[in-house]
Parts: sequence; C-alpha cells; structure tokens
Amino acid sequence: MLDMTVQSIITGLMMGVIYALITLGISIVFGVLNVVNFAHGDFVMFSMYLSYMIGTALVWDAVQTPLITIPVLFIFGFIVYYLIIDRTLRQMYVVQLAVTVGLQIFMRSMALIIWKAQPRALQYSIIQGNIQIGPYTILTSRLVAAIISLIFIAGIAWFLNKSWAGSAMRAASDDLDMASLVGVNYRRTYALTFAIGSALTAVAGGLLMSFQQTDPVGGIRFGFLSWCVLALAGLGSIPGLIISGMIVGVAETVTITFFDPRSRLLVIYGIFILVLWFKPRGLFGRK
Amino acid sequence: MKQILSTKYLPFISIFSLIALIPLVISKDQYAMVLVTTVLLYAVLASAWNIIGGMAGQLDLGAGAYIGLGAFTTGTLLTRWNITPWIGMFIGGFVSVSFAILIGLPLFRFKIKELWYALTSSALVEVLRIVFLMWDEVGGPTEKYLPGGGDNALYSLRFSTYIPYFYIILIFLVIVIYLNHRIRNSKLGFSLLALGEDEDAAEVLGVDARGNKLKALMIYSFIVGTVGGLYACLYGFLHPSFFSTEISTEVVILGIVGGMGITYGPFLAAIFLVSFREYLRAALGGELAGLYLAVYAVVLIVVALFQPRGIAPLFRRLFEKVIRSLGGREHESSAKASS
Repeated sequence: MLDMTVQSIITGLMMGVIYALITLGISIVFGVLNVVNFAHGDFVMFSMYLSYMIGTALVWDAVQTPLITIPVLFIFGFIVYYLIIDRTLRQMYVVQLAVTVGLQIFMRSMALIIWKAQPRALQYSIIQGNIQIGPYTILTSRLVAAIISLIFIAGIAWFLNKSWAGSAMRAASDDLDMASLVGVNYRRTYALTFAIGSALTAVAGGLLMSFQQTDPVGGIRFGFLSWCVLALAGLGSIPGLIISGMIVGVAETVTITFFDPRSRLLVIYGIFILVLWFKPRGLFGRK
Repeated sequence: MKQILSTKYLPFISIFSLIALIPLVISKDQYAMVLVTTVLLYAVLASAWNIIGGMAGQLDLGAGAYIGLGAFTTGTLLTRWNITPWIGMFIGGFVSVSFAILIGLPLFRFKIKELWYALTSSALVEVLRIVFLMWDEVGGPTEKYLPGGGDNALYSLRFSTYIPYFYIILIFLVIVIYLNHRIRNSKLGFSLLALGEDEDAAEVLGVDARGNKLKALMIYSFIVGTVGGLYACLYGFLHPSFFSTEISTEVVILGIVGGMGITYGPFLAAIFLVSFREYLRAALGGELAGLYLAVYAVVLIVVALFQPRGIAPLFRRLFEKVIRSLGGREHESSAKASS
C-alpha cells in the first residue's frame, strides 16, 4: 500500500514536470498577450502527430523529433499570431476567446480527417527501460522527459530574465503603454511570445511520444490539464508552475492507481474548481 | 392582445406562421422534416445562448452539459418512475440550473476573468460525460432505450414522425425568441449588455455583475436543459455521448456568427449553417465526418475577425434595401420590430 503510494507519487512528480512545460506555453502567452489560447492542448496533440510522422518517416527516436518539430511549431505559432490573434487584440473578450475556440475545433477536426480516429504510437524509444531503487521503479523514459522539461523550463526562465527580448516580454506584460514608449515593438514581442508558447508544445509533444500514444481528441485532456496547472500556479512564478504541475501530476497518478483510470479528469476538475473558488489568483500568483 | 396584434409584432407573427406551415408542404419527405426540425432545435439552443453569451459576454461552452443533464433526468424519470417527459423535461431544466449555479456562483465574482468561466463550462461537458459513463445505474457505455411509443406516444413523448416534435420545438423557439426580445428591452438586458461591453465600468455604475450574470445563466441553462429532455425523446435513447463538446461549440458558433445580442441572429445562423452542415453530411457521407466542423471553425474565425457583429446586420441592411426599393412605409415598422 505504502509502496504503491510512493511509486505513484514518483511517477506523478515526473509527469508533473512535463505538464509544467506544457503550461509554461499557455502561461507566457496569457501573461503577455492577456489572451488564452484555447487550442493549446491541440497544439500538443498536433506536435505529437508531427513527431509520430517524423519518427516513422525518418526512423528517428521520439526524443530526437523536436529537432524538427520545434522550428515547425515556432513558425506555425508566428503564422497563427499574425493571421488570427493579432487581429483580435482590440476586440471584445468573447470574440478573442471564440477565435481560439475556432482554431481548436479546426485543428481537432483536421487531425480526425488526416490521421483518422485510431491512436498512433511510435514503435520504440532509446530511453526505454527502468531504474530500480529498492522497491520502487523509475521509468527511464519519464525521468529523461522530466529532466529535458526542466532544462527547457530553466532555459525559458533564463531567457525571460536575462535577454533583451525576454525583458521586452515582461515589460509588455506589466505595462504595455509604458513598454511601447521605451521602444518595445509590441506586435513583434507578442508574435515572439506566441511562437515560443507554440514551440514549447513541440518539446512536450516529442517527449510525450516517447511513452504515450496520440489521438485526435487527446488535445482536450492536455488543454484541460494545463488550464488546471495554470489556475493552481497563477501567473508570474516559474517555480510555482513546476510545483503546481507536480501537484496535478501526483493527483492524476494517485487517482489512476487507487481508483478508476477514467476518473482522473474528475479529480483534476475538482482541483480546478476548488482553486478558482478559494484562490482565484492561484497559489503562487503575482497578479 | 391588442398590443400583440399591433404592427410591432407583425413580422414576428407572420414569419412564425409561415414556418408553422412548412410541415404541410414537406411532411411526406422524411429527410426534409429531420432537417427543418434540426434547424429549429439548434436555433432554440443558440437563441438561448444569446442571453448569456451574446448579451452578458460570457463565452459559455457548456451547452452539451445542460443538454445531457436534461436528457438523462427526463429519460431516467420516465424509465424508472414512469413520469411523463412533459413534466420530466422541466425537472431536467431545474437540474441543469442547479449545476449552472454551482459553477456560476464562484466564477461570476468581480475581478475574476471571463476566461475562467469559459474554461470551466467547457470542462464541465467532458467531466459529466465521464461521470455518466462510469455511473452504470443511470448511464453506462451502452445506450439505454426509452420505453413508450405506440398507444401512449403522447404520454411518453415518443412519436413515430418528426411532425409533433417540429411543432413542440417551434413553440420553444417562439418562446425563446420572445424572451430574448423582452430581456433585450428590459433592465436585465441593458445591465447584461453593459457588463458584456465593459464589466468594470458597469460595476462602477452600480450594475450587479454577479446577480445579473447568474440570472442570465439560469435562464439559459433552464432552456437548454428542457430542450435536452426533448432531445432524449427525439432520439429515443440515452447515452453519455449526449454530453457533447461538438454541440456546445456549435451552439457558440451559431450564436457568434448570427450576431451577438441580436434577437433573431442565432436563428438566422442556424438556418444557414445547420442546413449547410446537413448538406455536407449528405454529400460527403461518413468518409469525411469531421469536415463540417472544420468548415464551421473557419466560418467562425472569419466572421469573428471581419464581421464581429455577426451576419444579422448584413441581412438587415439587405432587407431594408429590398423594402426601400419596394417603396412604402412598411420600412419603418419592420426596422423597429426586427431589432
């Protein structure tokens, strides 16, 4: 019993870091543009399919595929920003949200048309196998995925704090008018933010593909997970994001171990509602 | 009575009288009957959405949840306790309202972004689907067929043709559109429109954001829940797939494409888009089942970007042009009534 609990917590912690990576994309876009991309989960689904296609076509390992998918998703993010998001910034909030809902439906139904409803998975991964520590098993694939996620999260944190473009993003997030006055081109900053948010899903997609399968409606789950992590973390704290991701990941794996696997979304929804009810700014929110 | 018969409501009455005559023309054609009934059904849902989405500016993505709750309440009352859907669907409406309050109460507080309501309502659909999938006594993964039909068709609301459903849904539509019109011109409507435009400003001027939005949400979820009961009877079975994300997003698309806050906008959008969807479905068959949603999504994005007030104003301009070219003074009265 105790062993099972500890085991599921270990797995959950590692999954949580990947969820934090997915959420980081939503979080910076929401923080800077004040627009939430409803389609974010479907971006993850889309990049998982891309990883699958590259993995089968080039006989690459899933963890290598981000080398191609990151630039693809980065450019895709740019295109989506200039084609759609940029035009909605001055419109009513409902319209802004509705446009990303439209994007979500579009991506999901296109995935259904292109890849049909069967789940797809890559055949093998070089990071399969597990590490045994006493009675506990650590799946190497999850561990590697968690470590790579942490590296990317740290990289983004460094970028936001140290680089000029990152400072511009934070400035635009704090006070757009003031940032514009001191020479921040807000459209370019917004586009860059959106593209980075999109590129992060490519990393997550490649990592997830190393031990999971993908299907066209999988985007719902990832979207949902990342909103929950976002609600829990609030905006503006990257360590908070990782901790929240871990809370959600542990909640999920514990549910899968001790209850019905189907009920994992219910637990996440429960956390989501409770957080919005009692701590609407999240546990670590800055604003 | 005198007021209702006045010129103000004349276009309204004449349009719905014309619609009521449709089954007389096409009652032989089963496919056409299904089509017009579906159009009316979606028109009811989208018009109800107009109250919360169009006027109050809350992107509600939970229509599927309320339909499912209404359907399962009505169907279970009928199969377990033999309670007629005529009563059951209104109980279903109340069940939907209670769920709506559950998420509306925490999320309509001041200074909580609209975004969280949109996310919560869209997740509610998925969560309830899973709950009913796991709850074997009521839902479960297999279809549960409703009893009835035959002799007690009227009691169990299970008719063998679409014609009775058509008229029931038409009555719903008349009520919902009339309600839309009344709310639009009431204090509640003005408060909602103000909140939809700028919540901070409205709140400063003393408009109670939470109370007004909750009222709108309750009206909306009650209507959709009640329609959900009808939906179960129309299909004759219960299944967790009634908690459908597709329906929820379609309702939103119709509401936005039609024109937010415009009384007859969603109905107009339903006529065009739902017919178009059924045409695509018939023309392409099951092979490209998802294509209509992709087309819907493109329509939504294009309308939201280039015509954010919806297609209704375009039609109004066209209508006025036609009237003007015909000359005469009907122009004034019709323009007033159609707003």
